[in-house]
Amino acid sequence: MSVTIVSEPHEEGMHPTLPQLVKAASVIGESCTVIIPGGNGADEASKIQGVGKVIKLNGACFSVFDSSTWSAAISGLVDGTVLMATTPVGRELSASIAAGLGRSVVQDVTSIAPGIKVERPAYSGKAVESISVSGDAVITIRPNAIESAESGGSADVSTVDSGEDLRIAVLEAIAKAGERLDVSEADIIISGGRGLGDRSNFEKLESVADSLGAAVGASRAVVDEWGLPHSMQVGQTGKTVTPSLYIAVGISGAIQHLAGMRSSRYILAINKDPEAPIFGVADYGIVAQWEDALPILHEAIKSLP
Amino acid sequence: MKVAVLIKQVPDTTARISIAGGSVDEGSISKWTISPYDEYALEAALKLQSESGAKVVAITLGPQRSSKSLIDAAAVGADELIHVLYEGSSGSLSLQGALAAAVRKSEADIVLAGKQAADTNSGSTAPGVAQMLGLPCVGLVSEVKAVDGNFVATRSTSSGMERVSVNGPCVFAFDKGDEELRRPNVRGIMMAKKKPIESLSPADLGVSMEDGGVNVESVGYPPEKPAGQTFQGAASASEVVTKLREEANVI
Amino acid sequence: MGYEALDFYDVDSLLTDEERMIRDVVRDWVDESVIPKIENACREGVFLDEWRQELGGMGILGAPLKGYGCPGLSYTAYGVICRELERGDSGIRSFASVQGSLAMYPIWDFGSEEQKEKYLPGMASGELIGCFGLTEPDYGSNPGDMVTKAEEDDDHYILNGAKMWITNGTIADLAVVWAKLDGVIRGFIVEKGDEGFSAPEMKGKHSLKASVTSELVFQDCKIPKDRILPGVKGLRGPFSCLNNARYGISWGAVGAAQSCFDSARSYAMSRIQFDHPIAAYQLVQNKLAWMLREITKAQLLAYHLGVKKDSGEWVPEHISLAKMNNVDIALEIARVARDIHGANGILDEYPVMRHMANLESVKTYEGTHDIHNLILGRHITGIQAFTREA
Repeated sequence: MSVTIVSEPHEEGMHPTLPQLVKAASVIGESCTVIIPGGNGADEASKIQGVGKVIKLNGACFSVFDSSTWSAAISGLVDGTVLMATTPVGRELSASIAAGLGRSVVQDVTSIAPGIKVERPAYSGKAVESISVSGDAVITIRPNAIESAESGGSADVSTVDSGEDLRIAVLEAIAKAGERLDVSEADIIISGGRGLGDRSNFEKLESVADSLGAAVGASRAVVDEWGLPHSMQVGQTGKTVTPSLYIAVGISGAIQHLAGMRSSRYILAINKDPEAPIFGVADYGIVAQWEDALPILHEAIKSLP
Repeated sequence: MKVAVLIKQVPDTTARISIAGGSVDEGSISKWTISPYDEYALEAALKLQSESGAKVVAITLGPQRSSKSLIDAAAVGADELIHVLYEGSSGSLSLQGALAAAVRKSEADIVLAGKQAADTNSGSTAPGVAQMLGLPCVGLVSEVKAVDGNFVATRSTSSGMERVSVNGPCVFAFDKGDEELRRPNVRGIMMAKKKPIESLSPADLGVSMEDGGVNVESVGYPPEKPAGQTFQGAASASEVVTKLREEANVI
Repeated sequence: MGYEALDFYDVDSLLTDEERMIRDVVRDWVDESVIPKIENACREGVFLDEWRQELGGMGILGAPLKGYGCPGLSYTAYGVICRELERGDSGIRSFASVQGSLAMYPIWDFGSEEQKEKYLPGMASGELIGCFGLTEPDYGSNPGDMVTKAEEDDDHYILNGAKMWITNGTIADLAVVWAKLDGVIRGFIVEKGDEGFSAPEMKGKHSLKASVTSELVFQDCKIPKDRILPGVKGLRGPFSCLNNARYGISWGAVGAAQSCFDSARSYAMSRIQFDHPIAAYQLVQNKLAWMLREITKAQLLAYHLGVKKDSGEWVPEHISLAKMNNVDIALEIARVARDIHGANGILDEYPVMRHMANLESVKTYEGTHDIHNLILGRHITGIQAFTREA
C-alpha cells in the first residue's frame, strides 16, 4: 500500500514529527513519499530510513497558513494513505485534504497497526476508540506517540512549484503579551505550596512553566500568606482543574488542595517529606528538596527533542 | 448577512463516561450541553447579529435529543434552527457532507464553528465543511468582525496571534473566544419554544451516510495507569521527565 | 467534579423543559457568580450589588407575577429558582424572596394601576430594590398588634414607628410598610428619600451575613396620599405576601440541604482515617442515608406543593407544612454535614457551617417553626393554641 506523508513547515528545518510519521508509514505500507510544503528540511528528510522520495513543494502561498489553499496545492500529489502529525496545522490541513479528495479523516491516533487499525483518545481522554480504517483515508498521528524511524536513508528529492493564491491575508502580527495561561485552561499546570519557602521562588516555577507552555498555580496557604492572585488558587475554594499533567512542588497535599486537582490525568509531586499526603495521589513522586530537583527537571524538559 | 453556526450536542465535559459492551452508554450521561468551543462560535455570531443586524441560523446534526442544543441556541437569540436528524454514526466525509448541504440550504454567508467537539476532540468539521463548500477556512479564531464586506479575524499562530482578513464567504473555527456565551434570560427561554426547528434527514439534503472507510469497532476505557511510582533524590528528576514523555505521553 | 444536586427519585423529571432550562441557568449562575464570591461576602457581611444586577438581568425577580415586565412563570418555576439560589446561599434567595414575594407581589395584587406601572418594571429588572416592613421590635409572631401608625394629614399620611429585621432595607429604593390607619392595617409604599424615613443596617449578625438586614425608622415620615395600597385591608394583605415567600422558602431549604449533602458526601469519600475513607464506616453511611431520605421527602413535598399552587387548589396550611418541614430538616442536615466534615467543617473552605448559621434565621423568619406547628394544630383541631386567651 502506498503512503504519502504531508509534513509542515518548521523554522529549524525538518518538522520533528517527521521521523515518527515515517516509522508509522513503514508499519502500514512499503515505502512512503514525503511532501514538504515550503520545502524546508527536505535534505534532512531524505536521510530518514524508509523514505522513498521527498517532494519539496515550493510556493509563495506557504508563507501563510491557509488550509484550503495548501490542500489545493498538495492534493494532486497525494497517493494512497495520507499520514500527518496532529498539530494545529496538521489537524486543519488533513481535514481539508481529506474532504477535497472525498475521503474521511481520523485525527490524533496514538497507535497504528496493519489493517489499518488505529486507536485514538476521545471524550478528553476518558475513552479510547479502536478504529479500522480501510481504503485511502487521511490519518493524523499524535506527536511522540510513536517512536521515530532511524536515520541512514537516501531518498530522491524532487521539486514541485505551486502557483496557488492565498485566500487569507495577514494584516498584522500580534505578539502574545507574555500572558500566561490561566489554570482553568491549561493542559499542564505547575503549582507551588508552602514548601517553596518564599514568594520569589515562584519565578522558578514560572520559567519551568514557560518551557512547558504551562500555567502556574498555587495552594490556598500561599495565596493567603504571600498575597498571590486568587486566580492562581487550586483547591476547594479556588479552582478545580483537570489538566493532563499537574506538577505539585512543595505542596503537602491537604485534603482541600487535593479536592481541586486530584482529577488531573497525571500528577507529579516533588516534596522532601516522604509521608506527604500528595504522594498518595501522585503518579510520579520525587522525594527530594525541590531546590535540587526542580533545576534537574527543567534541564531534562529543555533537552527533550 | 446570514451567519450559520454549527453546534454539536455533547456529554457535559464534567460528566462521567460509562462504557458498556464496547460503546459509550448514552443512558448513563446525566447532562448534555453544547460543545464548549461551539459556544464561543455562537457568541461571536450573536455579536455579529447585534453589531451588523446579521441573522443567525443554528445548525446541528445528530439524533433527536440534539434538538435541545438548538433550543438552547434559540434561548440566547438564534433566529433560525436547522436539525439534520441522524441517529447513527458515520465517517467524517458523510457528516461534513450533510452539514455542508444544510449550510447551503440555509443560504448563509459565513459559517462559524468550534475548533473541535468535546466528545470526538477531532477538529475536522470546520475545515472539511469549508472544503466542501469551496470556501477558505480560518482556524483557532478568537474573534471575527465584519468590515466593509470582508471579514477580519484574530487567530492563533505558533508564535502568538495575528489578524487576518478574508474577502467574502468563509468558515471560521473558534478556539477560546474573547467572550463567553451569554447567559439566557427567562424571556429568551420562554420564547425559545416558539421558534420552529426545521428538521431534515440527510436524504432530504441529498446526502447518503456511509462510513467512508472508517469503522469504530469498539470504545473502551483508557488503560489503567500504572501504580504510582516514587523516586528518591533530586537526580531522579531526569528519569521522571523521560517517563512523562514516553510512558505518560503528557509532555 | 462540579456540584451534583441529589435527586434520588428524579423529581426534576416532572418539571417542564422550560423549568429545567431555568433551573440550569440559575444553577450555572450560582456556580459562576455566587460560589467563588460568597465566602468573602460572608466574611465582610455584604450583599454584592452585581448579584442584584445579574438576578435582574436573568429576568427571575417576581417570578410568578404576570404583566408589567414581570416573568409570568409557574409557581413550580419560582420554587426551582429559589432552590437553586439557596444552594448558593440563603441570603441570595432572601433577596429574591423579599423582592418578588414581599415587595413586588403586594403592589401587583393590591396596588393601583399607577403604582404597578411605576414600580413593577423597575423591580423586575433589578433597577429598583424593594423591602417589606411588617415585623417590629416588639411584634414578631404577633404582627396584628403592631404599633406603627399612619395618620391622615391633608394630602399626606404621616407614619410613626419602627420595623426591624427587614431584609434589603438599607439598600432598598422602596419599602412596602404595613401600619395601622385608624386601627386597621394598611399597606403604604415608602420611598428612599421620603422625609422622616431612615433605614439603618443591623450589624453583628452570625447568620445571613451576605444579606442586608435593617431597621426601618419612621419619625413623622411624610408620604403622599397616592402611596397607600388601595386593594387590601387587615392582616390578609401581609399574610398573602408571606404565603408566597414561605412557598419559595420550602423549595429553597431543599437547595441548602442538597448543597450540604453534596459537600458531606464528597468529603466523606476523600477523607481517609484508619486507612479508609470515612464513607466506609457505618455511622457515616447512616448519616448520609438519613440525609438522602429527608431530602427526597422534602423535594416531593415542595414539588407537589408547587403543583397545588399552580392549580389554585391550596390553603395556607399546605404551605406551613412544607416550610416548616423542609427548613427543619435542612437545618438538621447542615448540622450533621458539619459533623461529617469534622474540624474542616468549621472553615469557610466548605459551605456547611454557613448554611447551618443561615438556616437558623430561615427557621425563625417567615413564621417561626413553632408558629407553623400551631397553624397545623389549629387546622387539625379547630382550636387555636397561639395565645393564652380564647
